[in-house]
Amino acid sequence: MIAQQLVNGLVTGSVYSLFALGFTLIFGTFKILNLAHAGVFMSGAFIGYFAVLNGLPLWLALVLAMIGAGLVSYIVELTAFATIRGSGQIEFTALISSIGANLCLMSVAQRLSNTKVLRFPFETFPVAFYELGPVRFSFLQIIILLVVVVLLAVMMLYLYKTTFGRQIRAVSGNERVASLLGVNPALVYFQTFFISGALAGVAGILIGLSFNSIHFYMGEPYLLKAFVVVVLGGLGSVHGAVVAGMLLGIFQNLAVAYLPSALTDTIIYGLLFVVLLVKPSGLFGSEGVQVGVARR
Amino acid sequence: MMNLIYTYQPLFDYFLLAVGFAYSQQMVLRAGVFSIGSAGFACIGAYAVGILVKNQGVHPLLALLLAVVIGCVGGFLLSIPLARLRGVFQAIATLAFVQIVVSLCLYFDDLTGGPQGFNNIPKLVQTWHLLLAVAVTIYFMYVISRSSIGRAFDALRQDETVGATLGISIRKYHMIAFVLSGALAGFFGGMQSLYTYSIEPEMFGFAFLVAALTYIILGGRGTVTGPIIGAAIMSVLPELARPLADNRQFFQGALMMVMVAFMPHGVFDGLVLYLRKRRAAARDKTFKEGGHGSTGS
Repeated sequence: MIAQQLVNGLVTGSVYSLFALGFTLIFGTFKILNLAHAGVFMSGAFIGYFAVLNGLPLWLALVLAMIGAGLVSYIVELTAFATIRGSGQIEFTALISSIGANLCLMSVAQRLSNTKVLRFPFETFPVAFYELGPVRFSFLQIIILLVVVVLLAVMMLYLYKTTFGRQIRAVSGNERVASLLGVNPALVYFQTFFISGALAGVAGILIGLSFNSIHFYMGEPYLLKAFVVVVLGGLGSVHGAVVAGMLLGIFQNLAVAYLPSALTDTIIYGLLFVVLLVKPSGLFGSEGVQVGVARR
Repeated sequence: MMNLIYTYQPLFDYFLLAVGFAYSQQMVLRAGVFSIGSAGFACIGAYAVGILVKNQGVHPLLALLLAVVIGCVGGFLLSIPLARLRGVFQAIATLAFVQIVVSLCLYFDDLTGGPQGFNNIPKLVQTWHLLLAVAVTIYFMYVISRSSIGRAFDALRQDETVGATLGISIRKYHMIAFVLSGALAGFFGGMQSLYTYSIEPEMFGFAFLVAALTYIILGGRGTVTGPIIGAAIMSVLPELARPLADNRQFFQGALMMVMVAFMPHGVFDGLVLYLRKRRAAARDKTFKEGGHGSTGS
């Protein structure tokens, strides 16, 4: 029973990680909370759905959702963030602006779906189960875990083993100096937002598949969970978000199984509150993050 | 004429409630606290008043008073841990607070009705009650903004370090901001529950807090008139043009993006700042032409 919950939790948690990774990437780089990440996530699910509806195979839908959501994310950056960059108080204005962008995305999706819950056509994904001792896997769970692990591995390689990671750090430290040193900030913005959006898009279609329900409102709960994940892992910490996402997924599944299920949210957000108070830099946060926390 | 008033009366009532919540949100932002916890206090106030009046038969005025007290105490308690946090971290912590309140309301369903909502609350609040409440609140906000508290808030918002060097206790004034904001949110939450017959936890979730922020962004953070203008724009514009009402959400979102990009101080505050700047420019000009030799005070 516990093993089963752990496996389920790991699968849920891996999707949380995927979602939170893009969120924390943008925060770590540009110090802005991108609340439109929820809308990007949802748009990934919508793009995947319409691709499948038009007869495309699922893997192609996944790729399309990835690219599409990445582009949506970049559009959000152009409309919501590029316009306010350089004005003071970016923390506050970016939050408002991204809420606005999120409302726009949700409104478009509401139009597209006529406020209905969309479902993938029957047998989009083969329903199959495997048993390994006491634990039951569905084929979908295996695929989800596989996709997430591959994406995370590629992402880590890209961020830590290529010059791109250094470029990001350079631009987030000082954009002017970075551009003097031959880094193209526009390209860094594009890549960061595209990657973040692509990850969210994949998370969207995976969630859409596993619950077989896609609706314009689906991003919000994941956004709220992402807050917990990124704070737990340390705002801006990439590997922290991955670990914290997995932990949250496992914890949530265990809590639903063994505690009064209605209290799960209370406990999770209580945990968020406590972590913020006790160790605002999170479990894996660097000291650099602390600067935004302490009294100036 | 009477027809017109009857048609738009509910709209006007909701506008008045919106102004109340907008002031609660403005109070914290004005002191430089990035809290979005008003929704939580409104939720607590609404449920407290609803339960007291319907289940316990408490006099509505007493219940509202209790809602204010609960809001004050809640604000005070929340301000203690939050004194350590700043900026985005404050926003996330208060968001967590709102989520905790909402999920607790869902959990204690024998008391609050859970997801079905708390229904059949007697409708005791009429338009003139709301009007009176908002008028008193406006006066209250005006007095605060003219007092040493308001000046301390403005100083802390503009630069915390400078404020501290001028001898303003950051902890104390942030606490005051939280307490006042909690009191206002609790009170208007109570008013809302006596106005709308039924309340449910989701009413006070993410959408509520987005709405309250929108009023402030539209109107302005630093003046008493700002939130009224902001709430008025959001209430009236969708009524003026039907296509806007159909796409209310899209329109609201686009407006938020445009506002922070081109008018970051809000409509009213932006106007005030513009006029002030123009007056200053005109004054400098007369100084130069008059040859007073003064650099302008």
